[in-house]
Amino acid sequence: MTSTTLHPIRSGRAAVSSVRTILFLLRARAILVLIALIILFSILAPTFFSANNLPILAKHVAISAILAIGMTFVILTGGIDLSVGSVAGLGGMTIGYLLTQGIRFGGKIHYPPVVLAIVITLAVCCCVGVVNGWLVSKAGVAPFIATLGTLYVARGAALLISNGKTFPNLAGIAVRGNTGFPALGQSLFLGLPLPVWMMLILFAVAVVIALRTPLGRQVYAVGGSERAARLAGIQVTRVKAFTYLASSFCAALVGLIIASQLEAAHPATGESFELNAIAAVVLGGTSLMGGRGSVAGSLIGACIIGVLSDGLVMLGISEFWQMVIKGLVIVFAVAIDQVQSRVQAKFLPLLLASATEAGK
Amino acid sequence: MSPPDSEVILEARGIVRRYPGTVALKDVTYRVYRNQVNVLIGENGAGKSTMMRILAGVETQDEGELFLDGSTIRLRSPRDAASHGISIVHQELSVLSNLSLAENIFAGREPVKKGIFLDRATEERRSADALRRLRKPMDVRTLAGFISLGCRQVVEVARTLDQGARILILDEPTSALSNTEADSLFQVIAELKRSGVTIIYISHRLNELLHLGDQFTVLRSGKVVGEAPREAVSRQWIIESMSGRDRTSSVLQPHDRSFSKVMIELKRVCLPAICGEQDVQAAITDVSFRLGGGEILGIYGLLGAGRTELMECLAGKRRVVDGEILISGTPVVIGSINDAERHGIFLVPEDRQRDGLFPELSIRENITLGVRRRPLINLKEETLRAKQIAKELNIAVSDFELPVAALSGGNQQKVLIARCLLRSPVILLLDEPTRGVDVGAKAEIYAILRRLAEGGLSIVFTSSEIEETQALADRALVLCQGYIAAELARGEMTDQALFSAASPLVTGSSPYVSGVVSGVARA
Repeated sequence: MTSTTLHPIRSGRAAVSSVRTILFLLRARAILVLIALIILFSILAPTFFSANNLPILAKHVAISAILAIGMTFVILTGGIDLSVGSVAGLGGMTIGYLLTQGIRFGGKIHYPPVVLAIVITLAVCCCVGVVNGWLVSKAGVAPFIATLGTLYVARGAALLISNGKTFPNLAGIAVRGNTGFPALGQSLFLGLPLPVWMMLILFAVAVVIALRTPLGRQVYAVGGSERAARLAGIQVTRVKAFTYLASSFCAALVGLIIASQLEAAHPATGESFELNAIAAVVLGGTSLMGGRGSVAGSLIGACIIGVLSDGLVMLGISEFWQMVIKGLVIVFAVAIDQVQSRVQAKFLPLLLASATEAGK
Repeated sequence: MSPPDSEVILEARGIVRRYPGTVALKDVTYRVYRNQVNVLIGENGAGKSTMMRILAGVETQDEGELFLDGSTIRLRSPRDAASHGISIVHQELSVLSNLSLAENIFAGREPVKKGIFLDRATEERRSADALRRLRKPMDVRTLAGFISLGCRQVVEVARTLDQGARILILDEPTSALSNTEADSLFQVIAELKRSGVTIIYISHRLNELLHLGDQFTVLRSGKVVGEAPREAVSRQWIIESMSGRDRTSSVLQPHDRSFSKVMIELKRVCLPAICGEQDVQAAITDVSFRLGGGEILGIYGLLGAGRTELMECLAGKRRVVDGEILISGTPVVIGSINDAERHGIFLVPEDRQRDGLFPELSIRENITLGVRRRPLINLKEETLRAKQIAKELNIAVSDFELPVAALSGGNQQKVLIARCLLRSPVILLLDEPTRGVDVGAKAEIYAILRRLAEGGLSIVFTSSEIEETQALADRALVLCQGYIAAELARGEMTDQALFSAASPLVTGSSPYVSGVVSGVARA
C-alpha cells in the first residue's frame, strides 16, 4: 500500500489501456473461439453453414445448452451437479411409462393426457433436485459426492421403470387420448424447432434471474464467499437448494425433448451428458470455484461444443479423434482461464490505481 | 464513574460464555454508552471478540442477559441484532469482492420492484447516499475487489448505516489499513457519532484509542478489569490494566547473553503488499537485522504490522523483492520452502490448524512428516524417533497412533516444533508460538525454546503479546506497518517501549496524541 513498495509497473495510461485490451480479449475468448470455429468449418465443409444443416445443429446445441443453463447456477455457487444426465434419462423413462403403461389406479389403467404426463415427469425429476439441494445445503455433503450418489440412484430408477427395456411408440394412441407427445421435440414454430425455442426462452428467463432478481444476485454472492454471504444475512441454504432444483428441471426438459424426438424412451439416455454440460459452462468462462461467470457464457460454451462435434463429423474426422480434440479444447479453455486470473491479479494494483484515479 | 450526560444504551449483564476446555467470558458486565465511542481493550484471548460476537447475535451467551435501552433483548442471529439496530463490521472483512459496491451494501436485503425484479436504481441511489453521508463518495458500480482495503471497510460501514444501525461494532478495523486509510476511517467514525450512532471500537493501537475513545473498558482473561471515561484514562492506565500486575514474565529469569557468530542477516528487505480478492498481506519495508547463533529474537508488532509476512519470506513462502539475505555471510536466495529447508530454516506457522497440522493423521505421522528418508517408511524406526523427540519436548501422550486433533493446543504446538527439530534445523521460526495455548503449556514452550537456544539453535519468533516478548526474547524488534520501529535489548523491553513503538502514529491533529511516540525511529 505504501507507494515505494509497488512494482515498477506504474507507467501510465498507455499500459492501463493495453492491459485492459488484453483482459478484454481474454474475457471475450469464448465468443472469439466460436466465431473462429464457424468460419473454419464453413470453409472446410461448404454444407456446414447451410439452411439444411443449421436446424440440425441448433437442435444439438439446444440439448447441451439447456443442461448448461441449469448447471450454470449450481457452478456459480461453487457446487457441481453430476446427476443431470441420469435425471434426463429418468425423465424420458417416466414419460415413456406414463404414455405406454399408464397409471394403475382403482383396478383400471388410466392414461394421463400428454400435458399432465409432462407435468408429472417434471415433478418426479425435480424431486431429485430437491434431494440434491437438501444433501448439499442441509446435510453438508460435498456437491460432488451428493450428486454422484443421485447420478447412480436416478439411473438405477430409470432402468427399474422398464426393467432395462426401451419404451417404443411414444406417439400415443387416439383412443387413450394421449397423442401428440412427438410434437414437443419435432414440430417447428416460425421455422425453428420447438426445442430451440425452449432453449431461448429458458435462456431469457435464466438471464433475468441471474441479473435482475435478488435470487440471482445471491447466487453470485454465495459463490463469491459463502462466509461473507452468510454474515450479510443471505439464506445460503435456500439459494443453494434453488440452484439444484433449477438444474434438475432443465435436465428433465432435456429428457422429455429426447424422448419426443425419438418417439421412444431408452433408460441409458443421457449418459455422460453431465460432462458435456460442465464443459459448456467452463468453456463459457464460469469459474468452477464459483462467483464468476454468466448464463450467456454457458450458451456460447454449448454452441462451441455443438459446432465442434457437428463440424468434425461433417469433415469426416473419426469419432476417436473427435474425443481427443474435444478434450484438448476443454483443457485449453481452462488453462486460458487461469492465464486470465493471473494477468488480472498481476495488474490489479495498476487497475486499482487507475480506478481510484477515475473515482476522484 | 461516568459523566452525567452519558447514558447507557446497551448493557450486557453477567455474561458467561464457555467453549470446550475454556471459559471465554466469566461473568462479564459490559456497558455501552449512548452516542459515544466505546473502546474495548484487551490482549489476544481476553474475550473481546467473543463479547462482540454475542452483541452482534453471531453467538449466544450461556448465562447472563442483554439490555437495550433498559429492556431485555434476546439475539439469536445477526438478523435479530440488525433488527435491534446493532451491526458489526467484522475483523476479517466480509466484502464480496465479485460484486459491486452497491450490490455489497444490499447483499441479503436486495430491494425489489414489481415483487421480483431487483431495483437497481434504488440500490445505487441509497448506496451513494450512504457513502456520501460517510463523506466517502465512490462509484457504486465498481467491483469491491478493485477498491482498496480502507474503502472496503467503508463499504461495510455504509451497509450498516443503510440498515439503520444505532450501535455499530468495529472489530479491529484498522489492523489492515495504512495510515491515511485509517485517518479517513476516523473521519467516518466522527461523522457517524455526529449523526447519533453509538460506536463500539476494538483495537490494539493505543494512540488510535486515545485519539478516538470516549469510554474505555478493559478485558483481561474473560473479565472486566477496568472501566473509565476518557478523562480518567492514561496510556499508563491502559497498559497496566491490560497486562495486569501478576506478571508471569519473571518465571524464566533469562539472563543477558552474548552472541558472536551471525547466522543470518537481512539487509533492507522489502516485500510488496498483496491486496488480492481473498488474501490481504501487509508490506515490509527496509527490514534489516542480524541473528546470532543460539539467539532468540522476538519480533513484536500488532496485527497487520507485517510479522507473518516477514516470517514467510524467511521460510521461503514469499519471495523477497528488494534487499538481501545473507546466511553465514553469503548472499542467498530463499525462493521456495525447499530452499529454506536446504539452509536449515523451518517455520512453525501461526495458524496451526490451517497451515501446520494434518488433523486426520496420527501424532506419529504428524511428527515425522517431511523428514528426509529412504523410499520406504520404516515404521519401527519412525515410531522410535517420534517417541524420542516427544520425550524431549515433554509431549504427554499415551498412544502415538491417535489423531493429532485429539491433543491440546499446547501439545499440538509441540508436535509442530518436534517436526522441525527432526529435520535438523539451524534457524527455527515461530509465528505466534503460543496462540491458543493455555498458561501452563505456554511456560513449558518458553522453557523448551530457551533450552534449544542454549544448545545453539537460533530462534526467531513473532508475537503480539508484550509478556511473551519479554519472557522469551534476548532481543526484540518492534515492527510497525512493515518498518522496524525499534530494536530493544533485554533491559529495554518495557511495556511502554514495546507498545509505543508498535502503535502507528495517528496523523490527524489531536490533543490526545502524546509525545511518547517521538522516540519512534522511522526509516
